[in-house]
Amino acid sequence: MTIPAKIKYTKDHEWVRIEGDTATFGITDHAQEALGDIVFVELPEIGREVNAGEAYAVVESVKAVSDVYAPLAGEVIEVNEALEGEPEKVNSDAYGAGWIAKIKITGDESVELMTDDEYTTFLEE
Amino acid sequence: MSESLAKTPLFDEHVALAGKIVPFAGFEMPVQYKQGALKEYTAVREGAAGIFDITHMGQVRVTGSDALPFLQYVTTNDVSKLALGQVHYSALLNESGTFIDDITTYKISDSEYYLCINASNRHKDVAHLQTQADNFDVRVVDESDDTTLLALQGAAAQAALQPLVDTDLESIGYYKFAQVKVAGTDGIVSRTGYTGEDGFEIYIPNTIAVDVWQKLLANGAFPIGLAARDMLRTEMGYALYGHEISDAVTPVEAKLMWITKLDKGDFIGKAAVEARKREGPRQRLIAVKLTERGIPREHYKVFADGAETGEVTSGMFSPMAGGVALAYVKPEHAESGELSVEIRGKAVPAQRTALPFVRSNVRK
Repeated sequence: MTIPAKIKYTKDHEWVRIEGDTATFGITDHAQEALGDIVFVELPEIGREVNAGEAYAVVESVKAVSDVYAPLAGEVIEVNEALEGEPEKVNSDAYGAGWIAKIKITGDESVELMTDDEYTTFLEE
Repeated sequence: MSESLAKTPLFDEHVALAGKIVPFAGFEMPVQYKQGALKEYTAVREGAAGIFDITHMGQVRVTGSDALPFLQYVTTNDVSKLALGQVHYSALLNESGTFIDDITTYKISDSEYYLCINASNRHKDVAHLQTQADNFDVRVVDESDDTTLLALQGAAAQAALQPLVDTDLESIGYYKFAQVKVAGTDGIVSRTGYTGEDGFEIYIPNTIAVDVWQKLLANGAFPIGLAARDMLRTEMGYALYGHEISDAVTPVEAKLMWITKLDKGDFIGKAAVEARKREGPRQRLIAVKLTERGIPREHYKVFADGAETGEVTSGMFSPMAGGVALAYVKPEHAESGELSVEIRGKAVPAQRTALPFVRSNVRK
C-alpha cells in the first residue's frame, strides 16, 4: 500500500491534490484495497457544485456500492471518463490514472484533511 | 454478533492464502483470496480449475426400507426416476407450496439416499425431515458436522482431481456420482456444480480436508471465494435460496416446475402448487440485461412502462455480459412492456434476455 506525500487525505479515505485553484479527487490505495475489484464508477456531471463532505461519485466493487465524498467544495470541471471503460484503473493506480474528478475550488469549505504522515497514523489506529 | 460463527476444517488454509474472511450462513468463510474476485472468476471461466470450500452446506443421509416413499413425499422431484449413482436437483416445500429449501438428492441404493442442503436452512430442513420421518421406516441422519464439501470447477477440474481418486472420472457423467477413494479415504464425487463449467463436488470426511485441499492446489487448482462463486452462479441464472426462492414463492413463480413432478403421487405442497398453477403465478422470475451502463443489485426496483413491477433478486456486473439481473415482476410484465431498473433514483433501461447470461460449458 502506498501513501504519497504532497496530497491530502480524509477520514473517509479520499485524497485531494490541490494545484492553484483546482483540486483533483480520488480514493486512496487503502480504500481500493478494502473494496476489492472496482467494476463500475459513476462520475459526477461537469458543472455540478459539490459541498465538502458531499457524495459526488459512486464506486462499485464486485459486491459493494460505495459513495465517494468530496474533500473540498467546488464546481466539477473535469471527470476521468477513462474510468467508464476501465474502472480497474482505480485499483491499479489509485493516485494517478485512477483519479475521479477535478474541481474548481470555490470558497474555503473543506472536510478535515490529513497529511500523508497523519493519514498513515490514522490507518494504524 | 450474538451468534458465534463456525469454522470449516479449511479455515487456516483460507487465512494462509490471504482469504478475506466474512460471516456467511453461520460460518467464517473467504469472500475472496489475494488475487481478488475478478481474477478468480476469470480462472474458472477460462480453463483453469477453481477450488471452492463449500463445507458450510449440509448433508443428510436417509436410509431404510421406506427411503423411496419418504423422499417421494418430502421432495418435489420424482425420486423413482433416479438411477443408482444419479443425482437430481429437487426441493422441500411447505404445505403452502412455498420453499423450505432447494436440495440435491443422490441415490446410493434402493434404501439409501444422500441429500445436500443449504447451510442457512440446515437446522430447519433436518427438523422438518425428522418430523416427517416419524410416519416412515427411515432414519434421517445429519452428517454435516463431519463432512467437508469441496467444489472443483472449470475445464481443468478433471485433470486436477484424477490423480487423487481410484476411479476413472471419465466414467462419471453429468449429474452422476460415484463412491470413490479420495486420497485413500472413502468419499463421494459427483459431476455437479454451481458455475456452468464442467467440474465436480467432492464429499469427504473432515479428517482429510486439509490433505485433499493441498493436493488439489498442488495439482494447479485456484482457490475461489464466495464473491466469484456468486458471479458464476448468477451468470447461469441458478436460483439461490433467500434470493430467487424462499418461503414466499412456489415453484410456479420460481420457474422450477421442471423439478416439481405433479404426476408422481402425493407430496408435501402438491395441492398448493396445483392450485397456484391453476390460478397462475403471482409474480414471475425473469432475466434482464441493462442496455446502458450500470449494475443492477438485489432489491433494486424494476419498472415496466414507467410503473413499478417488481425487484431484482440477484444482480451483478458480468465481465462477459455487463449489468445483468434476475428479477421478480408482475405476471403481465414477464413478456411485455418497456423495462427499466432504478439505480440511485435513475431509470436505467433493460431488456429481457434468455438464460444463461453467458454460455454454459457443463458436460451434458
